[in-house]
Amino acid sequence: MTNETELIELLKQGDETAFKAIVEQWQDMVYNTILGIVQNETEAEDLAQDVFIKVFEKISSFKGDSKFSTWLYRIATTTALDHLRSKKRKKRFGFLQSLSGGGGDEKEQVPDFHHPGVSLDNKERAAVLFKAIDALPENQKTAYTLHKLEGLSYRDVSEVLNTTVSAVESLMSRANQNLRKQLEEYYNKHYR
Amino acid sequence: MTQKEKIQEEIERTLQSLDSVKRAEANAFLFTRIKARMNKKSSGWESIFSFISKPAIAIAIVAIVMAVNGWALWSDNVEEIGDPENVSELATEYNSVASVNNYDYENIASE
Repeated sequence: MTNETELIELLKQGDETAFKAIVEQWQDMVYNTILGIVQNETEAEDLAQDVFIKVFEKISSFKGDSKFSTWLYRIATTTALDHLRSKKRKKRFGFLQSLSGGGGDEKEQVPDFHHPGVSLDNKERAAVLFKAIDALPENQKTAYTLHKLEGLSYRDVSEVLNTTVSAVESLMSRANQNLRKQLEEYYNKHYR
Repeated sequence: MTQKEKIQEEIERTLQSLDSVKRAEANAFLFTRIKARMNKKSSGWESIFSFISKPAIAIAIVAIVMAVNGWALWSDNVEEIGDPENVSELATEYNSVASVNNYDYENIASE
């Protein structure tokens, strides 16, 4: 039995030490994935906590058909996307309220998310790229984040998304096209 | 270099800006915070409220309350209206109340 399998078995019995070891082993992976999707450090930390609580509560449903990391990536991406959907719903409601109140916030949103793992000389460009990533459709955003930020291969991404490698290739190709289009619009407006 | 070429170069450099990104690190106290949240969740009212506020549970509770109310009303009607004695009592009571001046609220009790 590997160390990981042992930890999972102990966690299924409710062992707190095993839970702590699992959190410490996977926390950066979970946090980084969520951060890439929600692009907000405070929200990402809260959601990372949610993910591990779900892991503790649902570990009995993990049958070992996939890798533990794949299962964890699935929970992390689903939690992050659910959070974004709920945020969007609230935003729409706020927009309707602002319409009925007479005033709308029509300010153009500037790129303001700075990933802590980006080097200083790439900081501004990465912020522009993150803004463009944020506008991608959910599945493209997830595939792009897992591949670019977590360094997963297309095969690993396909396992997380429960799809084929060719489907991931297609998602990545469309994501790159969309990003280019958005960046072109951005630089046409802002390039001096 | 034309403006368009410069923009294309900028796009390429922007797309490559995540190539050497490092993994963001979670808060060192993440486990402590998770434990605190789990303890809070498992203690008393919060877990009860979170259980009750689940849509399925809330709808089921409302349905049960409405069913109990409906059953109580129905069983009262069957017992009271179905009984001829109660019907005549009701008619007598109705007649006595109807004979009182409807605007004379203060004297209803004394009659």
